[in-house]
Amino acid sequence: MCGCFVSTLDEFSSGRSRGGGGGMADRQEQKLKDAEKWLKKADKLTKLSFTRWAADWSEATPLYEQAGLVYKTAKLFEKGKHCFEKAAIGQERLSSQWTAAKHLETAGGLAKELEAWPEVADLYKRASEMYMFCGKPQPAADALVRGAKAIEDSVPDDAIRMYLDSCSFLEDDGREQMAFDTYRAATNLYIKQQRYADAASMLLRWGQAADKCKAIQSQCKAYVSAILVYLYNQDLKAAEQCHNDCSQVDAFLNSEQNQLAEKVLQAYRDSDGDEVMYVIKSSKTLPHLDHMIVRLAKQLPVGGLKPVIGPSNDDLDENDLT
Amino acid sequence: MYTALITGDLEPSATRTQSWFLDHLKSNEALGEKNRAVAVTLNAEVRRQKAALQKELPKLQRLAVKKVKGLSKEELEARPDLVLGLAQRVEEIPDGTALSRRPANGGWAGGPRNEIRIDVMSPDDTLRPEHYAETEESKGFRSEYEYRRDKQDQGLDHIADGLATLKNMAGDINEELDRQVPLIDEIDTKVDQASSDLRSTNKRLKEVVTQMRSSRNFCIDIILLAICLGIAAYLYK
Repeated sequence: MCGCFVSTLDEFSSGRSRGGGGGMADRQEQKLKDAEKWLKKADKLTKLSFTRWAADWSEATPLYEQAGLVYKTAKLFEKGKHCFEKAAIGQERLSSQWTAAKHLETAGGLAKELEAWPEVADLYKRASEMYMFCGKPQPAADALVRGAKAIEDSVPDDAIRMYLDSCSFLEDDGREQMAFDTYRAATNLYIKQQRYADAASMLLRWGQAADKCKAIQSQCKAYVSAILVYLYNQDLKAAEQCHNDCSQVDAFLNSEQNQLAEKVLQAYRDSDGDEVMYVIKSSKTLPHLDHMIVRLAKQLPVGGLKPVIGPSNDDLDENDLT
Repeated sequence: MYTALITGDLEPSATRTQSWFLDHLKSNEALGEKNRAVAVTLNAEVRRQKAALQKELPKLQRLAVKKVKGLSKEELEARPDLVLGLAQRVEEIPDGTALSRRPANGGWAGGPRNEIRIDVMSPDDTLRPEHYAETEESKGFRSEYEYRRDKQDQGLDHIADGLATLKNMAGDINEELDRQVPLIDEIDTKVDQASSDLRSTNKRLKEVVTQMRSSRNFCIDIILLAICLGIAAYLYK
């Protein structure tokens, strides 16, 4: 008796859900139809023709926005992108660049789903320009970062350029502290691309930015990461030079990170691979660096340790009075 | 009996016995005395009397073994014991210097029991080579010490790791907070601006609404409505 009761309940619920699901699909179709209608209407409003000499953007823009939203939820990316782009143009004509920029960003997100990479980059760049036009460099930089993140897997060079532009925006504005994440992302991208010299220079730039806003910990971490990247690149000379330069900074000189750097460099100078591995493994400050750097460091020493030709003091003979 | 013994033999000792009784009384008084200074003086008096009595005791002892007329032989032999008993009784008079026996209190009681002896070893001992040789006991001590020290080192390493992580996190939190300070200041000014705008807008709105709802307009509205109804009624009549 209970079994048949339960089975009837099941039938009831499934029937209702089927009915509901059908209702949902109907509603969605209805919405799509509405969106089509709006889009057509908006196009008509904006297309210049014989009868219409000025596009009516103030009416068309909301229609474009609504249609775009519907297409976005329905995952029809091409149409959605198109709607949002038009909406952005409309807002621009209505001189509200902020909203225009927001629409462009949405369009860029949709383009990313479409994997139309040049378009993605283009849209995000336009969005950031609009933000700058509004006099707000922070969102501009954010837009560039988002765009770069979207395309970094496929077009890394463009992504790098966008990261760098974003960093320079923030540096010009004097807000380097917001740029730390960007530096980190750019560094990681360089490392992924195995452009280690660039990664190290980016890290040094990060250190400089940190110095400007007195973020001592980030600065020291950036410097020691740069040294480790140079070592990973098997460029001991550059690493030593870098260490010398960084030691000019008092804050770095007295930090734990500097101790780690000195120990590692000393081990390298002694050409002792085991010592290097031991120092890396037993260091307490290494695990707190960025995870990509830690991964590189764990692989040190890379390549054979060439015996370093240090400054030979034997040349100076005591009896040599010249 | 003591008094009989003493007064029987030594006339000057009569005063001693009196002083003996007085001492006992005095010592009892001193024990009961709350005032420390008075107790001290009483105790000192008791001690003085005790010392005087003890000085007399050897004389008494010599006299005790002397033959006296009219005493039996046993009594004669018992007399030195009596003198000794008297000596002990004098000794027992409390004079404020007796060590009080505290109830055994674990570690404290252990201290005095294990005497601390300084310079037990004679200088010759250190010259002997076997003095520095290891015994089984000392080997055991050393190994236990090293084991405990290693354990401590391990624990301290663990703590050091935790502390390093804490330091790193604290530094990062510090930087994050520094980053957010100017943002919050900006928010503050913007919100102040927005609230002042809102206040002025509200004021203007209130003025407009009160103007609209003024009684003059109401009356005009009612009169006009009445006229319209009148016209409508007239038309439909």
